[in-house]
Amino acid sequence: MPDLIGLLSYGTFFLVFATIFALVVLGLNLQWGFTGLFNVGVAGFVAIGAYTSALITAPDYPDQLGGLGLPIPLGWLGAMATSGIAAFIIGVAALRLRHDYLAIATFGVAVTLQLVALNAKGLTGGPFGLQFIPKPFAEVIDDNLAWNVTYLAVAAALLGLSYVALERLVRSPWGRVLRAIREDETAAESLGKRAFRFRLQAFVIGCMLMGLGGALYAHFVGYIAPEDFLPILTFQLWTMLIVGGSGNNRGAILGAFVVWALWTLSGNALREIVPSEYQARAATLQVVLIGLLLMLILLLRPRGLLGEETVVSRHMRDEAADTAEE
Amino acid sequence: MLQLVADGFIIGSVIALGAIGVTLVYSILRFANFAHGELLTWGAYLAWTALIGIVAVWGPAEPLGPFSFGWPLLVALAVSAVATAALALLVDRLLFRQLRRHGNAITLIMASFGAALVLRNLLQFIYGAVPEYYSREIQVAIRLVPRDVLGGLRITPDQLFVLGLTAVSVVGLHIFLTRTTVGKAMRATSVNPQLARVTGIDVDRVIRATWIIGAVLAAVAGVFSGLTVQLRPQLGLDLLLPLFAAAILGGIGSVYGAVVGGLIVGLAESLSVPLVGAEYRAATAFVVLIAILLIRPTGLFGERT
Amino acid sequence: MTALRVVDLEAGYEPGLPIVRGTSLAVEPNEIVAVLGPNGAGKSTLIKAIAGLVPVSAGKVLLHDRDITGRAAHHLAHEGLGFVPQTENVFVNLSIEDNLDLAASILKVPKKQRLRDLYDLFPDLARQRRLLAGRLSGGQRQMLAVARALVGEPKVLMLDEPSAGLSPKLVGIVFEKLLDVRATGVTIVLVEQNVKAALAIADRGAVLVEGSTRIVGTARDLAGDPQVAALYLGQHRGGS
Ligand SMILES: Nc1ncnc2c1ncn2[C@@H]1O[C@H](COP(=O)(O)OP(=O)(O)O)[C@@H](O)[C@H]1O
Ligand SMILES: [Mg+2]
Repeated sequence: MPDLIGLLSYGTFFLVFATIFALVVLGLNLQWGFTGLFNVGVAGFVAIGAYTSALITAPDYPDQLGGLGLPIPLGWLGAMATSGIAAFIIGVAALRLRHDYLAIATFGVAVTLQLVALNAKGLTGGPFGLQFIPKPFAEVIDDNLAWNVTYLAVAAALLGLSYVALERLVRSPWGRVLRAIREDETAAESLGKRAFRFRLQAFVIGCMLMGLGGALYAHFVGYIAPEDFLPILTFQLWTMLIVGGSGNNRGAILGAFVVWALWTLSGNALREIVPSEYQARAATLQVVLIGLLLMLILLLRPRGLLGEETVVSRHMRDEAADTAEE
Repeated sequence: MLQLVADGFIIGSVIALGAIGVTLVYSILRFANFAHGELLTWGAYLAWTALIGIVAVWGPAEPLGPFSFGWPLLVALAVSAVATAALALLVDRLLFRQLRRHGNAITLIMASFGAALVLRNLLQFIYGAVPEYYSREIQVAIRLVPRDVLGGLRITPDQLFVLGLTAVSVVGLHIFLTRTTVGKAMRATSVNPQLARVTGIDVDRVIRATWIIGAVLAAVAGVFSGLTVQLRPQLGLDLLLPLFAAAILGGIGSVYGAVVGGLIVGLAESLSVPLVGAEYRAATAFVVLIAILLIRPTGLFGERT
Repeated sequence: MTALRVVDLEAGYEPGLPIVRGTSLAVEPNEIVAVLGPNGAGKSTLIKAIAGLVPVSAGKVLLHDRDITGRAAHHLAHEGLGFVPQTENVFVNLSIEDNLDLAASILKVPKKQRLRDLYDLFPDLARQRRLLAGRLSGGQRQMLAVARALVGEPKVLMLDEPSAGLSPKLVGIVFEKLLDVRATGVTIVLVEQNVKAALAIADRGAVLVEGSTRIVGTARDLAGDPQVAALYLGQHRGGS
C-alpha cells in the first residue's frame, strides 16, 4: 500500500509545519494576545533564527562566513539568542512609544532583513540562501517517513514545553501585570519605567520563540532562502493567531493548525483547478482568500475560535486604575 | 553630488505625497495604515488602464513638448485619482468603518495589514507581475549644470514635471487646509475629535475627505513613481517604509512635516547609494526611522506622540 | 415648554456600567441652572451624555420638548445645543478666528454678522484674532471656549466647570460674561465644583450624588442648605 505511506508521509510533513507555526504563534500570542504589542515583522525574527542556526551548525560554507559545524542544539540556542538580541534593540527604540510605532519599526526590521538576506552574500548566501543545513538524527534514521515522525516528535515536544512554560508565565503575577498594562493605558503609564520593562521582556521572549521556530524550519527543510521569509509569512502567522483567538495559548495552537490546513487545502485545490500557465496568478488569489478570511474574522468574530480566557480579575484592574489616579 | 541631490528630491517628491496621506489618516483616523502603499500601486495601475483605454478610443497622441507623455496621461492621472479615491472610500466602508464602530483601535492596523495583502495580490492577479511603462519614448536629459561643477546635473523633463506638480499639490493642499471649512474641520478633528463633534462637525464627512485627499495624492505619487521608474505590483510595498519614516520624521499629524520628511528620506536614500550600494538603498529609511525614534520620537514638527 | 428636560437618564462609558443612574432634571427657558456634586459624581458624564458624546442606555433627553436621546453630537449642535467641555475646549492648532469661523459653518444665515456680534461680546478676542488658540492664557481660553460654543446660536448652553483652574478674579469675569450671555436669551446649564460662585449667578441648582439627582432647589435655598455644604466638606478645595 504505497499510497498509505505517501499519505502518512504527507500528513507528518503537514503536521511538522503546523507545529513549527504553532510555536511561532505562541510567541506572537505572548506579544499581542497578552501584552498588546503589535509585531508586524514576525517573518524577520523567524528569519534571524533560521539563518543563525544554519550558520552555526552547517558545514563550512566556501566563500562566506559561517558554517561552523557545531551541534544542532547550539544552533537552536543561538537562534533564540540572536532573535532575542534583535528584539531587545528594536524594543528599546520603539516600546516606549505608541503601539503603532512598534508596528512600523518591526515592519522595518522585516524589510531590512529581507534586503540583508538578498544582498549580504558573504553572510546569507544571497538569493540562493543557505544549503546543507544538517538534519538531526539523519545519520541514525535513514527512512524518510521515520525521520519525519522523529522530527515531528521533537518539534511537538518543544511546542509542548513552550506551551506549559507560557501558561505558567501568563498565570503568574508577571503575566497579570502584562494584561493589566494591555488593558489600561493609564495604568501602564502610571507604572512608567516598569511597564516598559515588562513589555520589553514579553517582546523579547516572544521573539525568541519566533527565532526557535525559524531554526526548526531550517533544519527540517534543509535549506533556506530569502523568499521563505516574505511579508506573507507574517500575515499567515497573524491570521493563525486571530482565527484561533488571541490571548489564549490553546487558541494560538489551534489557529496554527486550522489556518495551515486551510492554506494547504486551498493551495492544492487551486493547483488542481487552474491550468499550469495560470498558477502564478492563482497563487495571488489564495492570498486574497486568506486575507478575506482574516478580515471576516476581525469583523464578525474578533475573539477568534476560542477567545480569551478571563484570567484577569476585576480586582487587579481596579488596583491598576487606582495607582493611575494617584 | 548634485545629481544625487536632484535624484533624492525626485524620489522625495513621491515619498512626500504618499507620506501626507499616511500622516492625515494617522492623525484623523488614528491608526498607522499599512495599506496606504497599495493606494500608490493602484493609483499607478489604474492610470495605466485609463491610458490604454484613452489611446484605444482616441488613438495615440504626440508627446507634449519635451515630455515622454502626451495629454492622455494627464487625463489618465485625473481618472486614476478619482478611481483611487473611490477605492479608498470602498475599503473604508467595508472594513475600517465597521472596526471603528466596534471601537477597537488596534485591530485597525491589523486589518490594514490584511487589506494591503489583499489589494496587492488582487492587483497582481489582474495585471500580472511583469513591469509596465506609461511610455517607451526615450527622453533626452537636459544638462542644467556642467560636469565640472560638483559632478554636474542632468535632469529629464519628466522629472521636472514631477517636481513641479508636487510643489503645486503641496501648495494646493496648504490652501485647502487653511482656507476651506472642510480643511479647517480636518485640522480641528485631528487635534480634538470630541470638540469637533460638539461644534457641529460631521466627523464621518471629515473622514471621507481625509481618504479622498490621501488617495488622490497617493495616485499622483504612484503615477510619478511609474513615470520615473516603472510600474510594478511591489511599487507601493517598497515605498511603505519610506512613507512611514517620512511621516514620523516630520512629526506624525503634520502635513508640512510629511513633505519635509519625505524630501529628507528621499535625499538620504539617494546619498546613501555611493556609501552602501544601491541594493541597500531601501534600508536607509529604516535607519532614519530608528534614529528618529531614539532621538526625537515626536519628529521635527510634531508636538504630540 | 421646558428648554431642556432629562428623564431618568442612564449613561456610561462601558456597557453594563452606568455612571449616570436615573438622573432627572428640568431647565426652564432662559434659566441658569447649576449642577453641583462631589468629584466623581458623574456631572461631566451627565452633560456629555446630553450632548451626545456618551452612550445613553435608558431614559430620555428632550430639547424644547423634542426627543433628542441618542442623537449624534454634531446634529445636536445644529439643533441649538451648545457645549463647553471642561478641558481641551478650544482647537489649539487653529487661530481664534478659525475657531469661531469653523463653529459658524453650521449657521444657515450669513456668518459675518454673527461673528461681529460675538467679537462685540468678547472684545479681548477681537483684538487678537490671528493668535493660535493654544497660545491663550487660561482666562482668555475659557472666553474663547464660550464664544466658540455660542457662535452656532444655541438656545441651551452647557458648560463643564468653566471656573476650573482660574483665579477668583477671572472666575468673576467669566461668570459676569455668562450673565451677559443669558441676557441674550440663552438658557444655561452650569456644572460646577465652585458652589459659591455658581449659586451666586444661578437661579436654581441640582446636586448630583453617585449618578442621580439628590437635592433640587432654588439657588438661595441650596446655598444655605447644610446638606449641600456637608457633601463638599473636605473635598471642596480638592479640585480635580
Ligand atoms: N472616559 C471615561 N471612561 C471611563 N470612565 C470614566 C470616563 N470619564 C469618567 N469616568 C468615570 O465616571 C465617573 C464619573 O466621572 P465624571 O462624570 O467625570 O464625574 P464629575 O464630573 O462629577 O467629577 C468616575 O468614576 C470616572 O472614573
Ligand atoms: Mg467633571
